[in-house]
Amino acid sequence: MKKILMVDDDPDIIEYLTTLFEDNGFITFAAHNVKEAMETAKREIPDLITLDLEMPEEWGPRFYRKLSQEKNLKNIPVIVISGLSGSGQAIGKAIACLQKPFDRDELLKIVKETLR
Amino acid sequence: MANEILIVDKDISHAKALGIYLERKKMNVYSAKNSDQIFKLFDKINIKIVLADPSKSDDKIISILKDIKKTYPEILIIIMSRPEDFDYCMAHLKDEAIHYLLKPVKSTALDMALKQAKSWIALNNKLRRYEKRLKVFKRTQNLFQQLFDEVPCYISVQDKDFRLTATNKKFKRDFGDEIGSHCYEVYKHRGSPCEKCPVSDTFEDALSHSTEEVVTSKSGKQYNVITWTAPIKNSLGQITQVMEMSTNITQIRQLQDHLTSLGLMIGSMSHGIKGMLTALDGGVYHLETGLANGDKKRTDRAFKQIKQMAGRMRKMVLEILYYAKSRELIYETIPIEKIAKKAAEDAMAIATKKGIRLKLNISPSLGTLQVDPNWIHASLVNILENAIDACTYDRSKEKHIVKFDVFEMSPDHICFIVKDNGMGMDQETREKMFTLFFTSKGSQGTGLGLFIANRVICQHGGTIEVDSEPGKGSCFKISLPRKKPEQFSNYDYPRKDITQNNAGESLEKTKDILSI
Repeated sequence: MKKILMVDDDPDIIEYLTTLFEDNGFITFAAHNVKEAMETAKREIPDLITLDLEMPEEWGPRFYRKLSQEKNLKNIPVIVISGLSGSGQAIGKAIACLQKPFDRDELLKIVKETLR
Repeated sequence: MANEILIVDKDISHAKALGIYLERKKMNVYSAKNSDQIFKLFDKINIKIVLADPSKSDDKIISILKDIKKTYPEILIIIMSRPEDFDYCMAHLKDEAIHYLLKPVKSTALDMALKQAKSWIALNNKLRRYEKRLKVFKRTQNLFQQLFDEVPCYISVQDKDFRLTATNKKFKRDFGDEIGSHCYEVYKHRGSPCEKCPVSDTFEDALSHSTEEVVTSKSGKQYNVITWTAPIKNSLGQITQVMEMSTNITQIRQLQDHLTSLGLMIGSMSHGIKGMLTALDGGVYHLETGLANGDKKRTDRAFKQIKQMAGRMRKMVLEILYYAKSRELIYETIPIEKIAKKAAEDAMAIATKKGIRLKLNISPSLGTLQVDPNWIHASLVNILENAIDACTYDRSKEKHIVKFDVFEMSPDHICFIVKDNGMGMDQETREKMFTLFFTSKGSQGTGLGLFIANRVICQHGGTIEVDSEPGKGSCFKISLPRKKPEQFSNYDYPRKDITQNNAGESLEKTKDILSI
């Protein structure tokens, strides 16, 4: 089973994504900040990451930079899920950028296609 | 010139001899026999000295001399009298004459008397000139004092220690007659000079400086002011004092802030709402899948989520509405326990998430309260959340607790106490915490939450008292009347007085920006 790491500081959104992904047969890991996210990513080596941009302390783009510096993590596909407009430009290499509130079918479609 | 002299003497030969003598002394001599002649002469000639013999046998002369002195007080009178009349003359003209000579008049005595009279005249002229200048000076001084007082700004003059040496009327009205006190004590209620001080800059470089400040009046009102300074120099060109002029721009700032905030509000609102809508989608997804699979646990969780999100959105929208438009309160009579527990329940969710303990002490037998439940709920939650934030930001203690006590203060008043052992507030933050857009949480705060909470409590006829100490924590005491007050019904924005708010809301950056 494929593993998805969800990075978002809002516990309600984490809960939503967790159920959504688990209902569709994925294993999930949640991180509420960049520090937690890096630790989990190194430990679990997820197959895909969903990333919020605006979080307390460190923001999403910094996490992405840190991720890109790790050999075994830098090729993990990242989907940006953010409430910020123009978030597509924040992380150029993201495979998709979804605006909150996102369309869950669209998200599932992207995830399934990526992890096929 | 003091050369015009009038001789009044019935002894014509004596008068003539005197006239000849005085003309030789280069004086312009005039003579008169009766009062008509005398006054006609005074109308034409600027007589300075009168040399008169008021003999005892004719007291008319005495009254004429008195009239002369009354009408022309600057004229000097020298009396010449026979020895037998001398005392009589002195007794009757003691206030009018400057000198008395015995007849027949000796030239030396006359010369001395004239010399004295001339020096008196010169002195009088000098005094008159001074008097005239003094009048001009006083007029100018009054004009400047009037300008100083009536200028529509606060003016203070300060020495190098920032002590006030002069203030204008407007300053005294709003900040008190505080000559000798430090500027920072009077304007900011601080114990030490401000970090950035335009007066200090002017003392250093002799240039005018300008800053924008928030100052606190003697009645505790906050004013936004623009301040300009100007050096005051002594005759050596050294700066001895600095004048500070502050213009009250509170109303302009209020309007400007209101407009700016509407823009900001739209931005932050859209961001916050996006997060809430996503979470709401999550609730709907849980509900759909829970119902479809007959999973009661999931359905219950979904209901809870949806309810929570609806509550958050409702609170946000209410705050925006409150701020954007004047609202009429909708009073209801509700059990105090219910409103307190509902606020505590909302705050508990946040406290739990942040690892802060929320200890409740709500008596079940408090009766009812006549309030607008929506607004009172929002206000209580704001104050509770603020206490939770104060704990979250405090890194000096390991364990944090927020206590929420509700009790009857008097038969007519209910008291809500929110006490935390968080970071506390310094005096400046305490004074400004209810000011609109003031926040001590940097970009994490909006300065709306406690501003609205305070407004709502005041609108209900209640009060908020705050005790706080940096590093120790804060205590908010909210007192509310049980019944709807008659005089408080509606509030309009922009308001005339300075609006106030709290040291602030926090919450995560990306959500709840407007709902503290």
